[in-house]
Amino acid sequence: MASRGPRGKIRPPRRGLVTDQVDFDEVWAVLAQSLGEIHHKNASALSFEALYRNAYKLVLKKYGDRLYNQVGQLVTEHLQYVAVRDVKPLVPSAVVTGTVGSAIEKRNGGSKFLEQLKAVWEDHQLCMSMITDVLMYMPHQNRVYCTDHKLPTTYATGMGLFREHILRNSQYKIGTALNKVILDQIQMEREGDIISHGPIKSCVHMLESLYETEEENDNEKVYLTSFENEFIDTSTEFYRAEAQKLLQECDAATYLRRVDKRLREERDRCADTISSLTAPRIQAVVEKELITNTIKEVMSMDSGIRSMLDHEKIVDLSLLYRLISRVDKHKNVLKDMACDRLIELGRNINSSLKTPPAPPPPQPQDISNPSTSGAAAVKEEKAASSATLMAIKWVNDVLALKDKYDRIWEQAWEKDKGIETAITRAFTKFINDLQEGPEYISLFIDHNLQRGIKGRTESEVDDVLDKAVILFKYLTDKDLFERHYKNHLSKRLLHNKSLSHDAEKQMISKLKVEVGVAFTSKLEGMFKDMHLSEEMTSEFRRKQQEGEALKIDLSVNVLTSTFWPAKAVGIDSKPCSYPPIVEEAREAFTAYYLQRHSGRKLIWKPNMGTADIKVAFKGRKHEINVSTFAMVILLAFNNVAPGESLSFTDLKSITMIPDEDLIRNLQSLAVAKSTRLLTKKPMSKDVKPTDVFSINESFSNPKIRFRIGVVALNRVENDKEKKETSDSVAKDRDQQIEAAVVRIMKQRKTLSHQQLVIEVIEQLKHRFAPDMGSIKRRIDSLIDREYLDRVEGSRETYQYLA
Amino acid sequence: MSVEDQSSVILESGDGFQFIVRKSAASKSPAIRSMLDKKNAFVEAVENKIVFKNITAPVLEKVCQYFYYYEKHKGQEVCPDPDFITPELALELLCVADFLDC
Repeated sequence: MASRGPRGKIRPPRRGLVTDQVDFDEVWAVLAQSLGEIHHKNASALSFEALYRNAYKLVLKKYGDRLYNQVGQLVTEHLQYVAVRDVKPLVPSAVVTGTVGSAIEKRNGGSKFLEQLKAVWEDHQLCMSMITDVLMYMPHQNRVYCTDHKLPTTYATGMGLFREHILRNSQYKIGTALNKVILDQIQMEREGDIISHGPIKSCVHMLESLYETEEENDNEKVYLTSFENEFIDTSTEFYRAEAQKLLQECDAATYLRRVDKRLREERDRCADTISSLTAPRIQAVVEKELITNTIKEVMSMDSGIRSMLDHEKIVDLSLLYRLISRVDKHKNVLKDMACDRLIELGRNINSSLKTPPAPPPPQPQDISNPSTSGAAAVKEEKAASSATLMAIKWVNDVLALKDKYDRIWEQAWEKDKGIETAITRAFTKFINDLQEGPEYISLFIDHNLQRGIKGRTESEVDDVLDKAVILFKYLTDKDLFERHYKNHLSKRLLHNKSLSHDAEKQMISKLKVEVGVAFTSKLEGMFKDMHLSEEMTSEFRRKQQEGEALKIDLSVNVLTSTFWPAKAVGIDSKPCSYPPIVEEAREAFTAYYLQRHSGRKLIWKPNMGTADIKVAFKGRKHEINVSTFAMVILLAFNNVAPGESLSFTDLKSITMIPDEDLIRNLQSLAVAKSTRLLTKKPMSKDVKPTDVFSINESFSNPKIRFRIGVVALNRVENDKEKKETSDSVAKDRDQQIEAAVVRIMKQRKTLSHQQLVIEVIEQLKHRFAPDMGSIKRRIDSLIDREYLDRVEGSRETYQYLA
Repeated sequence: MSVEDQSSVILESGDGFQFIVRKSAASKSPAIRSMLDKKNAFVEAVENKIVFKNITAPVLEKVCQYFYYYEKHKGQEVCPDPDFITPELALELLCVADFLDC
């Protein structure tokens, strides 16, 4: 400002703003009187400017420190006076003497006390802020100055004085009384009384504004140091007792609701009665006392998680889930108990298959069993389907359980990932507990593809198949399933029993999605074989028609032996001597096929085939579908004069059919009533080598076309077959383990035992769960055969030998 | 005399001159702001008038000018120098500035 214009002369102030002589006592007397007026709420009679000017004067004359001390003393005196006059009379007598008053007394007395304290506090705050304003010029207002001189600001001093002389008043214990009153009121509210929140909130607010020291650290609020702990302690006590009370009085659902209500109450209380600073701590108390410590007991009640799960109490389960999530993010208790129940239910389903009320367990349909040996096609169907029925029942039960848990999981458990894993584990556990699991699932599919999906829409079929796949996913022994599925599929294909080709394809593609191409390639191969055979047969027929026609129609299914189950294509071929016309056709086809594909070997499986034959009984013509063997047997009678008979041994030498099959076929031809084309002497249900057979001239059947089945052998496995199956499964598995080991080692060259085992299990997990022992044995065997070697110096490491 | 309009305040010098100033401008001084605080309810706040017994009219006039100057240019990065400060009064103004804390 001085740089511009003509340089004027700076005039000294004519007169300072203050007079030279200041007498502290005189000025202080004026000030003290005025401050007293402020305390008595007579400020409007005072001139701020006058007070300010006086304080200014004193400070300028370096009386600042004296002024500061005097003000502190003045405030102290005032507060001591207030404590006696205003607060003390209202301290509830019950608190002081320790007697328990009535609820009303407590409430009214407490409220009045709180209101009074609140009023005193508000007055003090106002006075302090006025005093602070008036003394603004005092350097003690300045935080920087105070920090430098290690002094509290005037306001902080005022607050500290309030803490010391009102709350911590050594004579009247106002602070203790305050805590007690607030806690009493909260207790009353917890017990259902209505209290007024306002005064409590104000007093809590007061405690929050006060600090233990004049430095005013945030974690040293009087609220935190003197009130909160006491509050937490009483609450802990209360909720511990509450837990016991609730456990005795309530059922599980009510208990959960109470807990939920308490949690909400405490949250609201923190928001509108005490400080929100306490919310996390009090929530933790409730959670610990009412959930963590007791939830197990609650869940094990009769009305606990079992009944909730069984009756699908979605609301309760959802509440349970939410409460448990509060205390344990893994929800282990819930997982464990829900899965225990699930496994229990699953095992019930499993064991219900074995108990009497369920359909009787299937009889092994062995020829030595007299009750079934006499059964023909109809009976055979029945007996066989009892296994299917069981399989269907089992699958449906398991699916119902799965649906139920899915619903609960979705609606009550917020699709919790951890719980999903636990549920999956539980299903896997009990499904794999049942030895017949893989077979039953395959039977279920078999049933549906043969009969079940009749007349259903595409999407319904899809649903059914999806269900089967759900269960399939839980299987660990997927290779066992594959084995059964192959058997069932081969029967469906060869006997033309499959209802829908599309559905079959769909099933396979679903399996492919689940476990990959390797798993389904053989199944697809089976379809391909069927398709090629069809083409080949028609081409063969065309060729035959061009040349010399055969006397019979021949239709052949050529099966690749590696794709099809051993039962269908096994090397144990069962040859027989065919009648000439059949033999002719067979040779023609063999010639045709070998010309088409040189270097292949055809093995004929008469035990898998069927034949349509025409016969006439009493002038009535019939067209009968019989097995190839039965056809061979019947044709043998062509060469026998009417009325004459052939003995069992005769038939055997003519047909060369193996004993077992001969007996089975004779049973269906000569024993079963409706299809008795032959008569047997003597009449009995069993076929003995000494029996004699002749054409049953009096045979009659109302139908023109009908079928004579053969007693089935492999619908349900008997013990011997089971052993065979499991042996071959074990063999298969050994091979797969070896293959996996070699694959891995070829790629990795050297690997520790531990890692190798892990990788093998990983590779094979889609097919089955290999056990450690067999992996170890396979590795040893590979070392013996010099595919692998142990790395020298470290026994646990292998290397691959090229 | 008092001002009815609550948006303004009367500042009176020790020698009896009155200045009517917008409150928003006068509030530049924390001291004045506190004096007018309704919550404290001192006589100044009730009457909406402050008497500065130790400030003379010429000085108070400059103070008022400064209040308006400050309010006008508040927050600006570039602003003209105040042209109302005369060297003669500079020292006295300094004392008053200290007193009013502005």
